[in-house]
Amino acid sequence: MRTIPNIPDPDAFYEALLDAHAGLQAAESHALNARLVLLLANQIGDQGVLLSCLETARDTATQRRNDP
Amino acid sequence: MTGLSPTGYDLPVYEYMRPPELSGSGRDRYPVVIVGAGLAGLTLACDLASRGIAAIVLDEDDTVGVRGASSRGICYAQKSLEIFDRLGIYHRIRDKGVTWSVGKVLRGQDALYRFDLAEGSRSAQPPFINIQQFYVEWFLVDRIRELGRTDLRWKNRVTDIRQDGDGAVLTVETPDGAYSLEADWVIDASGHASRVRQSLGLPTRGELGEDRWCISDVRFHKDLPVERWTWVEAPFNENRAVWQHLMADGVWRMDYQMLPNTDPTEASRPEVAAARLRDQLGPDVEFDLVWVGAYAYRTQLMDDFRHGKVFFIGDAAHVKSPFGARGGNSGIQDAENLAWKLTLVLNGQAPETLLDSYNAERRPAAVQNIAVTRRSGRFLAPRTEIERMFRTAVMDLAVDHPFARLLLNTGRMCVPYHYAQSPLTTGDAGQALPNLTLGSRSLGGMLRGDGAGFLALCCPRDGEDGLGSTLLHLTREGWPLHVQTVGADEGLTLGMAPGEVLLIRPDLHLAARLPDADAEQVRRALARATGRT
Repeated sequence: MRTIPNIPDPDAFYEALLDAHAGLQAAESHALNARLVLLLANQIGDQGVLLSCLETARDTATQRRNDP
Repeated sequence: MTGLSPTGYDLPVYEYMRPPELSGSGRDRYPVVIVGAGLAGLTLACDLASRGIAAIVLDEDDTVGVRGASSRGICYAQKSLEIFDRLGIYHRIRDKGVTWSVGKVLRGQDALYRFDLAEGSRSAQPPFINIQQFYVEWFLVDRIRELGRTDLRWKNRVTDIRQDGDGAVLTVETPDGAYSLEADWVIDASGHASRVRQSLGLPTRGELGEDRWCISDVRFHKDLPVERWTWVEAPFNENRAVWQHLMADGVWRMDYQMLPNTDPTEASRPEVAAARLRDQLGPDVEFDLVWVGAYAYRTQLMDDFRHGKVFFIGDAAHVKSPFGARGGNSGIQDAENLAWKLTLVLNGQAPETLLDSYNAERRPAAVQNIAVTRRSGRFLAPRTEIERMFRTAVMDLAVDHPFARLLLNTGRMCVPYHYAQSPLTTGDAGQALPNLTLGSRSLGGMLRGDGAGFLALCCPRDGEDGLGSTLLHLTREGWPLHVQTVGADEGLTLGMAPGEVLLIRPDLHLAARLPDADAEQVRRALARATGRT
């Protein structure tokens, strides 16, 4: 799993990501995110990387919740 | 110079003089009149004076700053510092101000990201110096007076302007009454509420943001690192954002994000400001409030930065939120951009069409600055729950994963615009060169002096190569050009191959990069860069 910077224009990507959600209700945004995860997963196409990403995403959340 | 006293800042007061027009002894017409003695207007006046061009500056006030307020711009970027070096005030800014390069982005106690802007910096000037805006204006006034070419008219307020075919007529009010002033060229540097712009009926498109902030400029005795810290979520500000950095006289700028519906009067009440500071600094730190003021972010942009004989620079032309210090610094670059072009036109070394490139170059720069600051504003003030959720995800991941740190957007620091699309640029040049030092002289130093000259740096193919002397013919033909041959080592520093010529504009932007150059190529690039083609 690559965690060094690899997005060519991070600010423009982030803006586009937020714009994609503009005007949506919470449920619609969740659905968009779900579709997006699946689309991105298919771009990655590497089982090991996908599982590492899932693990990292889940562990990061757990770790933050346990912070004092 | 006295600076900060216990009662606040002691600012200079400049003497109002009765204008000669009111005694019937003025000139019929002046080549250049600048409206507004703020950062942009004074930089332009000083730049023109340094190039040998006289101007009249009209200002409604008789001091620097805005009635003693220490707020306004405090971060001066490398490009501005390079300009101030050429104008002869950099050493005063350096001595008075606070040089910094390290910034941190924090959430609570956690530093999510640390950056050092000095890494990779090759300029003779540092990435940033923090100093109160009125000091910069003060140094500019001193320097303008020293150069002795500029007529600074204090307590001269422009109330009206009209244009005819070949000039403009200003109506100016003074304590002794009103008078008219005719000018070939007028530069409006009178800020976001410009009277000149209104008088000409020119629109400016904009919006007032919902996000509210409150500045507290404060002095205290507590050892804190000289770094720019930005809390995305500060526990001492109800988990809203806070900025903290140091400027001259040991004054810290604390800028607190407020709730959108905050009453600005209440937020800036001294007791309320003191309570916020107490939460931030802890119970035992003594502090003095120097200045407190609430504000909202504002965006404004004119459709065209030129209208006939009138140019608009700085906030008169464009306003954006303060993220990344892109406001004052871009006004300074507007001034530099226009100064060398006006100089060449007034000296008869370039056609008037060169002046069209001011809007062609500086408006796209403003558009970009507005877009960049808007992104930062959106990161710091998420508009919806989903935007806030993404921000939290970025901060969670940023602790361990470098890629996410690049998504933390608390402001992208001001960098010069790349004039790739400019009509003056040959090929894909247009980027600003840092103020590199070659031998014992900086690039800016080589370009100092009367007029506005280009600099051709040439890297000879070998010891026999006559490229440098060939280019000197161009100087004899009357082109505003200095020629400098660089050694092999310097060529490497500049990324130049043997036989290559870099044509550098008076503002250190690259007009052309010409591999395997000859005089004709340089002549063509010069013609383009001076608005002849």
